[in-house]
Amino acid sequence: MSMHLLHLTVTHAGTVLVEVAGLHFEPGVPVTIVGESGSGKSLLAHAIMGTLPANLLARGSLAVDGHSYDLADRANRRRLWGPVMALLPQEPTLALDPTMRTQEQVAEGAASFSTDKKAARRSAGALLTSLGLGHASAAFPHTLSGGMAQRVAFAAATIGGAPVLIADEPSKGLDRLARAELADLLTRHVGGGGILLTITHDLDLARELGGEVLVMKDAHILEHGPAAQVLTEPAHPYTRRLLAAEPARWKHPWTRAGAPAEAPAEATAAPLISGKGLAKAFGGQQLFSDLSVTIGAGERACLSGPSGSGKTTLGNVLLRLLPPDTGHVDHAPALRGGRLQKLYQDPAMAFASRVPLRDSFADVLRRHRLTTGRLDEFMASLRLAPALLHRTPGQVSGGELQRLAIIRSMLLEPALVFADEPTSRLDLITQEETIGCLMDQVDHLGAALLLVTHDDALAGAVTSRRIPLGREDGDTLPVRPGLRTTR
Amino acid sequence: MITLVQRPAAALLTLLVLFAVIGPLVWPDHAAQDLSRFLEPPSLVEPLGRDHLGRSVIARLAHATQLSMLMAVLCVATAVLVGSLAGIIAAWRGGWIETVLHGLSEAFIALPALLVVLIFSAVANGDLWTLYVGLALAQWVEYFRMVRSRSGLVLAGPAVEAAGMFKLGPAHIIRRHLWPELRPLLTTMATFGVGSSILALSTLGFVGIGIRPPTPELGLMVTEAFPYYHEAPWMSLAPVLVLTTILIGLLSLRNKEARL
Repeated sequence: MSMHLLHLTVTHAGTVLVEVAGLHFEPGVPVTIVGESGSGKSLLAHAIMGTLPANLLARGSLAVDGHSYDLADRANRRRLWGPVMALLPQEPTLALDPTMRTQEQVAEGAASFSTDKKAARRSAGALLTSLGLGHASAAFPHTLSGGMAQRVAFAAATIGGAPVLIADEPSKGLDRLARAELADLLTRHVGGGGILLTITHDLDLARELGGEVLVMKDAHILEHGPAAQVLTEPAHPYTRRLLAAEPARWKHPWTRAGAPAEAPAEATAAPLISGKGLAKAFGGQQLFSDLSVTIGAGERACLSGPSGSGKTTLGNVLLRLLPPDTGHVDHAPALRGGRLQKLYQDPAMAFASRVPLRDSFADVLRRHRLTTGRLDEFMASLRLAPALLHRTPGQVSGGELQRLAIIRSMLLEPALVFADEPTSRLDLITQEETIGCLMDQVDHLGAALLLVTHDDALAGAVTSRRIPLGREDGDTLPVRPGLRTTR
Repeated sequence: MITLVQRPAAALLTLLVLFAVIGPLVWPDHAAQDLSRFLEPPSLVEPLGRDHLGRSVIARLAHATQLSMLMAVLCVATAVLVGSLAGIIAAWRGGWIETVLHGLSEAFIALPALLVVLIFSAVANGDLWTLYVGLALAQWVEYFRMVRSRSGLVLAGPAVEAAGMFKLGPAHIIRRHLWPELRPLLTTMATFGVGSSILALSTLGFVGIGIRPPTPELGLMVTEAFPYYHEAPWMSLAPVLVLTTILIGLLSLRNKEARL
């Protein structure tokens, strides 16, 4: 088994999106491509699979086991899908068919499915059991946690026995535990003599996988070498910039050193929000109970815990956007009049989707009697082109839109900002830029910050107090009365 | 964007609207009978001839088209207004208001639309206003249900939650969040609504329980002309042609992008 990529170029209307002279894949050596969004790394994977969008033009050739395939022809690799090549999609919860039970969904990928359904189902069941999902074979995808869904997607992708596995941002949206499991699965695939190509902007995943690392930017490969070398002693300035963008290495006036403590901060600051005896259950699942939380003025706290542990729910309860089942939440008068703000994980959802951003901003300015100059000032200082405001939210990139959302919140000079995974969908460099914008303002205003994240490094760099939620070691959601209280 | 289909459809509809507006002015007298001109064939002065009572068919057709179009637009406008307001109020306030409005809409859905109109016209014996109320009542439900479910989604979404954090108030939410979301759907539905109202009116006229004669009405004209089909086929075909043109025109006019 060997795979060789030669002279690949992907173009769109004359613009070069990917240009790679050659890439060699060896069984047992994982290849990982890292880089920021828009660098062309996903397109490279799709060019190899033959799944590029129809308006993109690929040139070059791919040799698989001595047989050469012309990359311009999208269809010639279709028969390799399943038995030879497989793609592990990003966001498995979206990639899985919501109407099919897991075992059936996985069985569909087996080579024997069209001839012998029973055998296919049997092997799907065996594969799921070996992945520790035997109990979930009759479950529908929406009942699975992110990590379990990723394992189901892995089973569906590999049941055909493909030695070549291409994983496109496989760790996106996964918490720490699920990511460790994923890295383990991918490593096992390589250990079994498979070829692995991983596309990611998650440098920790690249480190765990080892093997070869390629750094891509603006359609080209900038650096290529063993993971241990590229990710510790990078030769190219861009790679150094990329490594410096990891939250653990941030050096800004507002960064905090050391892991955030679970103990509450000294009680000198006046409390802005105090919740007492809070409990909330969703669909029979007790997310937290008898929890008391106080956020003081100027404090920086993070809500951490695995996916599904109720971080966002607790935040919304503290913001009084959701009523708690028991207990009550008090807000200080300082938070009145819009001085309590929230940033969303997906900023596109936080703006009126069908009107130009200009109109959304105009309403905020008018309601709070602010001048347009204030907005222009912000736009300039965050390096955002004023022309962006003429677009609708869907036409602005995630990073830029999150910065616009930050500007919108900061117009009201909030006393407390609740940031709900504000950068979990952004790549490292954009994340640093976005968090930088947020923290400069928070620092400037002396505002309190409540950050929801499952990225411990980010929490460590930005916050000084940790409010943990949920069990840290399992797929299943916590059901524990009297969860750790902070006061 | 105007497609290839939309241009001729719009042209056809414009012609019909012109006919409905100007026609009654050109041929004002639709009720004058002249039995000596019984089933007179078409001529230059009377493009569609005279009917079995010697009345001018083109005059009756022009008046009937005008009546149908006015009634349909009025009914749909009322239904859209009432349905949307009720839908937004139900989605916004929730609680018992939503329960009551929703129950009411269920009751109307359980009844066939024509039956609602029939009951109303039976009560008041074919007066114009009862037909108007009946048709509007039969139609508000679909707007109500669509607006309620759509608004429910929008109002529960993070964008409206964010607007709340900025204290932007209901005017902003309706103008920036609800209206842009509902507008394309409402225009598409209203286009269909006008078509089905015209059809419902003529159905009632056809079975003889719509507008009372001698007021000309498209469905009624078809029924009246049927016995003389062999002598004067144009008499029954003309109103059918008007109906078909209106419906095809309206159906082709709708915007593909507006279908969500």
